Amino acid sequence: MFARTPQILTLCAALIAVSGSAPARADQPDAGPQPQTVFAAASLTEVVKELARDYEKRSGRTVRLSFASSSMLARQIENGAAVAVFISADEEWMRYLDDQRRVVRESWVRPIGNRLVLVAPVAATAGGSATTPVQDAGVAPLMAREFDLVAALGTGGRLAVGDPAHVPAGRYARQALEHLGLWQAAAPRLARAENVRAALALVERGEAPLGIVYASDVRAARGVRTIARFAESSHEPIRYSFALIAGKAGTDARALLAHLTNARAMERYRAFGFVTD
Amino acid sequence: MLTPEETQALRLSLEVAARSVLLTLPFAIAVAWLLARRRFHGRFFLDALVHLPLVLPPVVVGYFLLLLLGSRGPIGAWLNDAFGIRLVFTRQGAAIATAVMSFPLVVRAIRLSLENVDRGLEDAARTLGAGAWDRFATITLPLMLPGIIAGAIVAFAASLGEFGAVITFVSNIPGETQTLPLALYTALQTPDGDAAAARLALISVGLGITGLLVAEWLARAVRSRMGN
Amino acid sequence: MLEIRCSLARGAFALDVDLALPSSGVNTLFGASGAGKSTLIEVLAGLLPAQGRIALDGEVLLDTHGGIDVPAARRAIGYVFQDGRLFPHYDVEGNLRYGERRARGRAARVRFEQVLELLGIGALLQRRPAQLSGGEKQRVALGRALLSQPRLLLLDEPLAALDVARKQELLPYFERLRDEFSIPIVYVSHAFDEVIRIAQHVVLLDRGRVTLAAPLAEACLSPLVHAITGAGVVGAVLEGVVISDAGSEGGSAATLVRCGELRVRMAQTTLAPGAHVRLHLAADDVAVAREPPRAISIRNVIAARIQRLEPGEASVLVHLLAQGERLLARVTHGAARELNLESGGECYALFKAVATHGRRFERAGLRP
Repeated sequence: MFARTPQILTLCAALIAVSGSAPARADQPDAGPQPQTVFAAASLTEVVKELARDYEKRSGRTVRLSFASSSMLARQIENGAAVAVFISADEEWMRYLDDQRRVVRESWVRPIGNRLVLVAPVAATAGGSATTPVQDAGVAPLMAREFDLVAALGTGGRLAVGDPAHVPAGRYARQALEHLGLWQAAAPRLARAENVRAALALVERGEAPLGIVYASDVRAARGVRTIARFAESSHEPIRYSFALIAGKAGTDARALLAHLTNARAMERYRAFGFVTD
Repeated sequence: MLTPEETQALRLSLEVAARSVLLTLPFAIAVAWLLARRRFHGRFFLDALVHLPLVLPPVVVGYFLLLLLGSRGPIGAWLNDAFGIRLVFTRQGAAIATAVMSFPLVVRAIRLSLENVDRGLEDAARTLGAGAWDRFATITLPLMLPGIIAGAIVAFAASLGEFGAVITFVSNIPGETQTLPLALYTALQTPDGDAAAARLALISVGLGITGLLVAEWLARAVRSRMGN
Repeated sequence: MLEIRCSLARGAFALDVDLALPSSGVNTLFGASGAGKSTLIEVLAGLLPAQGRIALDGEVLLDTHGGIDVPAARRAIGYVFQDGRLFPHYDVEGNLRYGERRARGRAARVRFEQVLELLGIGALLQRRPAQLSGGEKQRVALGRALLSQPRLLLLDEPLAALDVARKQELLPYFERLRDEFSIPIVYVSHAFDEVIRIAQHVVLLDRGRVTLAAPLAEACLSPLVHAITGAGVVGAVLEGVVISDAGSEGGSAATLVRCGELRVRMAQTTLAPGAHVRLHLAADDVAVAREPPRAISIRNVIAARIQRLEPGEASVLVHLLAQGERLLARVTHGAARELNLESGGECYALFKAVATHGRRFERAGLRP
């Protein structure tokens, strides 16, 4: 029963890790330095994979990746996962680890951000009037208080979000909805996903007529389109925290972190839809 | 002692488990009967298909359910268009997920008890004028009852504990699909959720022990009715 | 008339039967183990598929050519199994009523109270089969089959699983069954002592084929039967009427029975004049004399003619005709030589009254 839970977590983590590092392992001999592990928020999946592959080619070191909600990753690190670099989608989870002295504080940076958008599946139209199909998040209208969320969801429809209890994207979504006075209507209609990509998948599959995800996620998915965007003032600033994890902070780890945060990396984040200074 | 969410998870678990049993039993009896009593082409494949959820990871089973019964799946779309029935995010969907996962075990338990039913007694019933359905209802089924009860208990217990298939198919919706295992999973990821997780774990243990006691009592009651 | 023409193959065993049996009274299927007796009645009941034609009093139950195969549940043929097969999840009353409830509107000739009384099972109604003794189980099984209002009753070695004492206890129930109900019965047995008491007609099966089908009296004289039965059971069966009881025949304290033209003395005193009796005269109890003996205690000294001799390994069976009735006597080879016994010879048959036992029967006699 409950004994199966850690097994599922391990299975998911293993699958994600394998998918992330398989090409790298193929051309590296086993003898040599240990592989380094990066835990990153789910929304960074494509861009961090690309940066990591690049790093492997340049440095000859193997990098293992694991993408999940920042909450789950933080809990795994808390329980002793051997990780070199942690990238969280919010301050709070980094602070959570910092309180337990697991973070190398001086390595903590916040180089990139993101924006929150309301999305719908490409195939169907969400009912209601305030839904003009737009692809580019930058041009989508701002979410307004007058948005009739209930009508847009239709009967039995749910709003897919990361779980506001612990997923950063979900927390930001709740803040935004509260700010707009839409939280009361939305709360009983939520489909709480365990990370922002899972929320995205629900919308893409048509199971949920609407979802709140990051602007960068829309670029990653072909099956969703942006209906509206949330003003940055409606929620806490979305800043990703990058840091080295204590105990694994050798020079190699610093080099990896540097690679993930240098100017060229910033360019890649922008290309994938993230906000940089 | 328990928060409203935890109580909700407990009640939902029991409700989903009960629905799951009701869903599984008729099909399991029919399939067990087919496999035990009939020879036909493709019997092996039916047997293999029935056992598939046993050997596949639950997440994979949940994924297949999503493909078939999700809003865009062949069956799911039809259900939605024809009857307005949606299964994702609902307790009905959760019950289907747990029913599918527990199905092979239930079929095995029922088939075992069916194979132990004395065919001679069915022959005797034939000579006394009982047709096929009559024999099944008055002779076979009552004699299979211990196996059916065992199967029902297995179905109930398995569905209380099912996680992977539920979360993959119907997601984690408190009040609709967040059964005890899913609630525990969520608690583990929430800051300061350890106390809740421990409480939920304790409830699960309590349910498990209660279930075993009920099973034992039922089995004894049935045995004594048979006059053993 | 019960017409049975059927064949079936089961592995190495093949059943091939062509019979016409009287459809009233008791037909026994007799033969060694493995002869096919149970197989044949399973075919009759419709529990085993076979090719051929089966008809009971003109109603066709099976006709392979005509495409008729009435399912077992609709044949109205009652079956009492060797192992009883009572339903463990019903009590005795539930078992009894099971068939009754499914009698599909047939005339209720057998009544519940009648069956309780006949088989003495009234006190057992609330018990579960697991709480019954072997004999009680068989009686309930018989009652259950009867209450399904069958038009033919099949009994598959119903006493085989019981010890001698139980058998003796139950045989009278089967005799009463034969006498009080007019349902035709097919009784399977490999024990000839049961056959002698119950049968009217005997069918002998050997390796799936019928080797003899005859009334009981004739079957008792057949070498085919003698080959299978134990020696003690070989002997003639006679039927007769009690014409006077003990005490009235000049103080001889023996009951006189008239079997056709023959008069037989029995030591039994419980039967009143007018009662029908069936007598079994074991060949081992019958002696042969060339002259009537004098001053001998044997009460039955009957003039007879030797029909033929049936030599065996250690003895000879002498077939005798006495006043139109046939008797069997077993003598040693030496005695046969010494007395010069041969076909056609005149002699006397001797058997003790105290060794002669008769069982009464009500309606159905040797000749249905």
